Amino acid sequence: MTDQMLNSLLKAENVNLSFAKVKALDNVSLELRPGEILSVIGPNGAGKTSLLNCINGFYRPQQGKIYFEGNDISRMSSHKRARMGIGRTFQGIQLFLGMTTLHNIMAGRHIHMKTNFLQGFIYWPWVAREAVEHREVAEEIIDFLEMEAIRDSLVGELGYGLRKRVDLGRALALDPKVLIMDEPMAGMNMEEKEDMARFILDIQEYRKTPIVLVEHDMEVVMDISNRVVVLDWGRVIAEGTPQEVRENPRVINAYLGEE
Amino acid sequence: MNEATRETGAQLQLPVIEADTLPKYLQLGMQRWGDRVCMRHKNLGIWQRYTWKEVYEHIRAFTLGLMKLGLRRGETVAMVGDNEPELFWAEYASQAAGAKAVCLYPDMTAQEMQYILGHSDAAFFVGEDQEQIDKILEIRDRVPKIRKAIYWDPRGMWHYQDPFLMQFTEVQQLGRAYEKEEPGLFERSVAEGKGRDIAVLSYTSGTTGLPKGVILTNDYLVDNAFRLIMANRFRPFSMYLSYTSPAWAAEQFFIAAGLMVPVIFNFPEEPETILANIRELGAELLGFGPRQWESLASRVQARMLDAGPIRRLLYNAGMGVGMKMAVERTKGVQAGFFWRLLYPLADWLVLGPLRDNLGLKKTYHATTGGAPTAPDVFLFFHAMGIKLRNGYGSTEMGMYTQHMGDTFDIESVGQWYQSHPDFGPPLEYRTDENGELLVRGGSGFGGYYKSPEASAEMIRDGWFCTGDAVAIKENKNLVFLDRVKDLRRLSSGHPFPPQFIETRLRFSPFIKDAVILGDEKKECVTVLINIDAETVGRWAEKLGIAYTTFPDLSQRPEVYGLIQKEIERVNKVLEGPSRVKRFVNLPKELDPDEAELTRTRKLRRDFLEQRYGGLIQAIYEGKEAFETEVPVKYRDGRTGVVKMNAHINAIA
Repeated sequence: MTDQMLNSLLKAENVNLSFAKVKALDNVSLELRPGEILSVIGPNGAGKTSLLNCINGFYRPQQGKIYFEGNDISRMSSHKRARMGIGRTFQGIQLFLGMTTLHNIMAGRHIHMKTNFLQGFIYWPWVAREAVEHREVAEEIIDFLEMEAIRDSLVGELGYGLRKRVDLGRALALDPKVLIMDEPMAGMNMEEKEDMARFILDIQEYRKTPIVLVEHDMEVVMDISNRVVVLDWGRVIAEGTPQEVRENPRVINAYLGEE
Repeated sequence: MNEATRETGAQLQLPVIEADTLPKYLQLGMQRWGDRVCMRHKNLGIWQRYTWKEVYEHIRAFTLGLMKLGLRRGETVAMVGDNEPELFWAEYASQAAGAKAVCLYPDMTAQEMQYILGHSDAAFFVGEDQEQIDKILEIRDRVPKIRKAIYWDPRGMWHYQDPFLMQFTEVQQLGRAYEKEEPGLFERSVAEGKGRDIAVLSYTSGTTGLPKGVILTNDYLVDNAFRLIMANRFRPFSMYLSYTSPAWAAEQFFIAAGLMVPVIFNFPEEPETILANIRELGAELLGFGPRQWESLASRVQARMLDAGPIRRLLYNAGMGVGMKMAVERTKGVQAGFFWRLLYPLADWLVLGPLRDNLGLKKTYHATTGGAPTAPDVFLFFHAMGIKLRNGYGSTEMGMYTQHMGDTFDIESVGQWYQSHPDFGPPLEYRTDENGELLVRGGSGFGGYYKSPEASAEMIRDGWFCTGDAVAIKENKNLVFLDRVKDLRRLSSGHPFPPQFIETRLRFSPFIKDAVILGDEKKECVTVLINIDAETVGRWAEKLGIAYTTFPDLSQRPEVYGLIQKEIERVNKVLEGPSRVKRFVNLPKELDPDEAELTRTRKLRRDFLEQRYGGLIQAIYEGKEAFETEVPVKYRDGRTGVVKMNAHINAIA
């Protein structure tokens, strides 16, 4: 391992993924540098979500490696990766609908809890102490994402935009070193998008967490990303600052079709 | 003077005025109640508590910090944000330093702020968060007198690196260090404060022209606090929920009285969590505007619509019993023995749990003010067992009236306060020939900041002209009618309050809109009524009155009878010539699509008077019916003509 490895917190190297004859990812490499917002964009079916799934361990690529903090995590299961510090939000929201916002976020804390189920049953003093500590973290997240008014609302009763926020809150509860966000703004109205963009920037600025962002809304992507990677048909066709990518003819072709 | 005032009045027991400024009261409170809770603020899901000692220390540190930064006596400190401890500390601190406090509404735009900051000569700006700081940075060049902008919520402020900005806690650290250099400086500064010093500049909304900064002296604040204290029996350490912005003078009275009663100031977590917060803390004192009370009432009604049939039945029965008692209390109609017997049961089964659910179980003092509150809303809360009271006053002269005692007249704004004799002659009032309310006494009017001419205009022969048209009922209750400038005159020269009548008519569930007619060319007041198709329709169905369409329903004699009763109810509060003499139920609904109303459902008077000119002429000619054709616009854009037949009803 080299210095370069340490410089990039998360790195995918020559990742190949196919489903039967369909090549979802073709030799894709990308690296995430500390503190940056890296967006992955591309037309529908370009392989964006597949790439995220390879990073957090839902998919095992046939070839290629994923490094996290310099360690090869390609063979590691997704829950172990979560424990190492890879947090993720989902395109279709995966929350406990019958639980409150607070409890959903507390659920995100479970990987940091040391007491087990049986101890919890008796509620020893150290269990209580731990619950209070985690509640504090959860409350800070509620404050950070401005969810005070929905703290005790059932998630199933919330609107889509708010659910996305709870989903982000739960991912933050992991205290992730890297945050992966799959289309955080899909289906949102203008105001909700603005709120979400602000939260993403706050996460970068205050929590200093680097973010991999998959998003369709080009305006948002170009506004808040430090770097952009463009996928098309499973291949990286461009990479660079938003400005560079915007002017890249291959990107324009991929989005607008060949002339 | 009636029973209620006498028993709470000043003659029996005059409280002792122990200090002439709020910071001095703060000091007294700290000495008396040092370790008891003074303020609570919900943060990170927990009600954080501050004892009197802690509050005092916070304020002292902030005051000294400001002084270290160069704040001098007589300068101005502006502050803006949601009601949170820091906002209150900033106000008390600026007063402790001998400076004037100016509170702004948090939703003001940068441009609106600019005028007030400039006019008040603000030297320091204390804002809650990034939102407020961004506004001040935007107008920074245009308010050069501001030397520092201070914020208390650091969220989002991480990358602001500007020596112009400073965090609240940093200022306090400066202050704590300064305390070591100059021990006792804070106490000396507080002791220097005088009753006649300006404590607050309260800017009027400025709906007409530029906002005016009303001078509120220390005397004024203490005087008004004692008007409240003498008229009500506040229990020490009552839970008070602070929600209304101190930019509105009414909240200033509670900021002052709170130090004397004392109350425990509670600050909600966020403005959106207010309802949940009320419930958590079991608020005992509540002051809201009419809109908040209305939304609370409609919340209950909406929830009950979703409830199951058994629960709904219980709710309706319980509220029915409660309503009988409420009507007795507010209108003097005896409820009768039977209802009295049922009341404890209803209270136990329905009303008590309902209050508990809303968090009003412990509420013993609830006020509304600032704008008329619908009698229905009053009755709703009274039926529930919450004695909602109206308060009325002006920023310039302070509190005038409130509903006092246990029984009161909800059409009125209540009875006259007594001011403490230490602050000057007793409060007196009279009305002039236009029905305008004139007031004198108490700590009086401090004037408008930097506008002596405008201040002088408000005083006539030693009386302060409120600009409010009022009626004084036989029971000494005051009825607020309108602003004098909104009054219209009849051909006899008699002034009458058109908006007051319209608002009161609209309070009826059967009336959707009302257009009051009458001006210098007309000899009496008449009205065009747009009935509420839904409620009147339901009422008609219940009584088995058959009707086909809206025009048909509106012209039914039974409906005319119904509306007449509603008008007579309003007529009762009006004096002779102002009463509505004739009315017409419009056979079509007023419609914004036809430009009869604005999109926000405000009447377009000129247009209406032109469009219904023929009808109006017929009304004043004393005819009994009128037939005309009115152009209408259909939803699909087509236009047509509808034949209109309207009866004209005269009221004896």
